[in-house]
Amino acid sequence: MFRVAKATFVRNTLVMLRAYPWSFVIGHILAGVYTVLFAYFAYHYVFAGQLDSRFQHLAGTADYLSYAILGGAFYAFAVSTLMNVSRSLITELREGTLEAVLLTPSLRRGYFLGNVAQQVMRTVFEFSIIVLIGALFGLNLVHTHLWSAIAVWILSTGAFFCQALVLGSLMLRFRDTYITQNTLFVIMAFVSGVTFPTPYLPEWLQPLGAIMPLSPALDAFRQCVIQGKPLVAVAPQLLHMAVLSLAYLVIGMWGMRRMEKRVVESIFA
Amino acid sequence: MKQLTALLWAEIQKEHRHSFHSKMVYFSLLIWPAIMFVTAYYSFAPFRTGADSPLARFLSAEQLPLFLLTGYLGYIFFWCLVQSAWQMSFERQAGTMEMIFISPVNRLAFLYGRSLSSLVEGVWLFFCFTLLALLFVGGMHPSGWWAIPLAFFVLLVSAIVWGGFLSVLFLFSRDASFLYTVLDEPMLIFSGVRLPPLAFPLWAKAISFCFPLTYALQLVRGLLMEGAPLSALAPELALLASVLLLLVLVTVVLLKKAEKHMKETGNMVMY
Repeated sequence: MFRVAKATFVRNTLVMLRAYPWSFVIGHILAGVYTVLFAYFAYHYVFAGQLDSRFQHLAGTADYLSYAILGGAFYAFAVSTLMNVSRSLITELREGTLEAVLLTPSLRRGYFLGNVAQQVMRTVFEFSIIVLIGALFGLNLVHTHLWSAIAVWILSTGAFFCQALVLGSLMLRFRDTYITQNTLFVIMAFVSGVTFPTPYLPEWLQPLGAIMPLSPALDAFRQCVIQGKPLVAVAPQLLHMAVLSLAYLVIGMWGMRRMEKRVVESIFA
Repeated sequence: MKQLTALLWAEIQKEHRHSFHSKMVYFSLLIWPAIMFVTAYYSFAPFRTGADSPLARFLSAEQLPLFLLTGYLGYIFFWCLVQSAWQMSFERQAGTMEMIFISPVNRLAFLYGRSLSSLVEGVWLFFCFTLLALLFVGGMHPSGWWAIPLAFFVLLVSAIVWGGFLSVLFLFSRDASFLYTVLDEPMLIFSGVRLPPLAFPLWAKAISFCFPLTYALQLVRGLLMEGAPLSALAPELALLASVLLLLVLVTVVLLKKAEKHMKETGNMVMY
């Protein structure tokens, strides 16, 4: 399995460096930076630093800039992970290599592991740059509980990977990446508490946020970074994330297997 | 003229067949813009928005939904054209661009025809949504019955000119998705879609004046929200007109350069 993972990792890195020079990487970084800029402008220039009285209670902090900047950075990280993993099979289909991938006796787990490892390298790079720029615009990292923040980050990668399997099967089902992925991303940005705490939303919309792994992941990450809480303190969010991951994993594995069969039947038959 | 109309009609039919082959197109027509608008509205929830809040320096809290609605309507007009220009790279990949440029068709007519058709196809649904929402939101102070068609006309013309300009820019680049990222979101931040540009620091104001959407939105909001008479808006109208004229001139020059460049390098087809 690890040989397959390593081979996929090396191949994907070569593809990223040679064929699509940085366009997705720069795109994700810029998307995060724009969220940072919007938060900064709104907070300083339009609202002169005055927050709603309920914000501190709902967000657990009065530091709006750190809240919104971490939201933007983490959202960019989630989008990047979801895109890189879910698009992998349909990209093979478009480039004509899917047949070769399906014909080899390599384990699909190894293939996806390689994909994840390669994209982790990318997202670490993207995330660090967004956080660095965020720090220039008012992100406060002084209280960060570093190890728990890293642990939450790693666990979130796992959760997004599971969600990406479901997204990937939907993409193969509809033979489309553009509409499927962007519909999910605009909904995620709306209901997961990226730029505002979810309790501001109407009650009937809040369950939609609860089925996105981004909501508990972002909540836990903010608590570790802004309030410096240890990993134990965010156990409820981690449990929430674990339950969602398991559900997405089961649906995603089933979906991928079904779609692979469907693709093979419709294309190569 | 007859040839131009025929060309325009052909482009419209082609674009229609290209984008309306499945029902999924309604996601980008209505669902995305509507969710983006609601997200933008809730992004202001963490801030204090009373009558004595700092926001009142620029607009009243009751006008916020209307401000955002007009902002997003303008943005969707322009965004449609960024998207259409980006899809121009597909013509390149598919090899149809070469065929178009070999034919004796008027290049500018092709560019603006393409912009017009994708604009009308792209905005009608969100436009209806906005009109309905405007009725429910309330707080509108149009300058007169003519203000609504004039606002629509201002958005339409400025978006088409912007679309033609972008399509030419995209002719120069093979990695068009990158240009898409660079041009799309800055427009959302700096053009006053979500935040009033008056509040920006000087350097951000300078960037915002590079986008024609900034001028168009100023006019549209003046017409629909402030009830300003036409005479008061004349300087802004003249400013927008001169910016658009400049853009058309730049488009013509760049189009000639792009065609010459493509003929020299032979890269009219993707690879």
